[in-house]
Amino acid sequence: MTLFTSMNSLDPRVNRLPIDKVANSSPKAALDQFGTFEVFVQAKEGKPFQHEGIVHAPNIEMAYVLAKETFTRRFTCISIYVTDTRSVHVSAMTEGTNNAYENINDSGASEPKTSYEIYHLLKRGKQHIHVGSVTAGSPDEAMWRAKASLAGEKQVFNIWAIRTDDIRFTTTEDKDLWLTLPEKKFRDASDYKGGDKLKAFLESVNK
Amino acid sequence: MDQQALKELLYKMADDQLIMGHRNSEWTGFGPLLEEDIAFSSMAQDKIGHSLAMYNMLQELGEQDPDTVAFTRNANQFHNCQLTELPNGEYDFSLIRHFLFDTAEAIRFEMLTQSSYEPLAQVAAKIRGELRYHTMHAQTWIKQLGSATEESISRLQKSLEYALPFSLGIFERSPFEDKLIADRIFEGEAALEKKWKAKVEELIGQTQLRLPSWESLTPVVGGREGKHTEHLQPLLDEMSEVFKIDPTAEW
Repeated sequence: MTLFTSMNSLDPRVNRLPIDKVANSSPKAALDQFGTFEVFVQAKEGKPFQHEGIVHAPNIEMAYVLAKETFTRRFTCISIYVTDTRSVHVSAMTEGTNNAYENINDSGASEPKTSYEIYHLLKRGKQHIHVGSVTAGSPDEAMWRAKASLAGEKQVFNIWAIRTDDIRFTTTEDKDLWLTLPEKKFRDASDYKGGDKLKAFLESVNK
Repeated sequence: MDQQALKELLYKMADDQLIMGHRNSEWTGFGPLLEEDIAFSSMAQDKIGHSLAMYNMLQELGEQDPDTVAFTRNANQFHNCQLTELPNGEYDFSLIRHFLFDTAEAIRFEMLTQSSYEPLAQVAAKIRGELRYHTMHAQTWIKQLGSATEESISRLQKSLEYALPFSLGIFERSPFEDKLIADRIFEGEAALEKKWKAKVEELIGQTQLRLPSWESLTPVVGGREGKHTEHLQPLLDEMSEVFKIDPTAEW
């Protein structure tokens, strides 16, 4: 916090911050951060959920609340869900023309069976996209079952499996959350039309 | 329909939203974590949007345009409750105020979906989802921090006790209560207060926070008739700084 001690900002909010004047140094504080949660967004009805990124949060419910504004405050969307990062089971990443499913082998079946959601990475550098669900007794078994039912023709670079019960879904009542989003064009940078404003300003100055 | 009664109702709701929105926007860039900074700022923006909807209705009823109304009045011409103008202080206070205010706000607009004044009923239906998020955000935080650590519980408890008398000022009775109820514009502050108390009891009851008895609290009133703390005028000066330099400025 020593960074701010002698700051005399033009922003009145900065000058209001409750920062004590301190000495030149203070002990380095321990790293104090929340865990991470993975966020998936559904843009339109009928479109698959797509992984968009992470949020930090103290629990899954808070993660849902924070994910909503962090990832869906701009472009239209109808639903999101979140899961603890530690709930995501990841296959080996592949190179070149190797399909991730080539590395998936039968690891044996186990009980009890539960539902898993399966995601594919179809382009390097893009997001994982939901492709369907399977019933399995373990994440390894889920990948094996996905190989049989969801692998498809396209090359898959990476596969994720998440136990369905580990996901905090959007409830029917929560769908209201995005009711007014299509009207909030002002949150989209392109709606600001910065270039037009600059042009108008320069013209007014040059007159 | 009694226009004076309707205007009084719209002004106090709009002023609450504008002042609350501006106050909460002061956290932009200073939030406790990036995700929360974004969420809190978005909600502040929503609040100002809600106030604009109210000021637009007032303009339809013959009042001045929203910018003039928002930026040129002095503190004693504002009808917000004092709760909304208090300085942000630490985040625990801002969260508690957000919780107490938005719990009332969500119930108020739920009631207003039944208003006989059609434009108000329409806005109430429209912003339902936004208010659902505002209460979800507030309640999830309070539930989390209200049972998390000794420090989080004691800090929220202290803020809760400080904010409660001010929060009762939300329900300061208007001279037009009977008219609003008779005209079916709004069920009235007494009905809202009753529902709000039940909801606050239910939600605080799910945490380790303690709610003092309502009888032990003295409501801080006066805001609805233009009596404010010394904190409102500096807020208004800051909020209207650009407008006062250039009323036509757009950004």
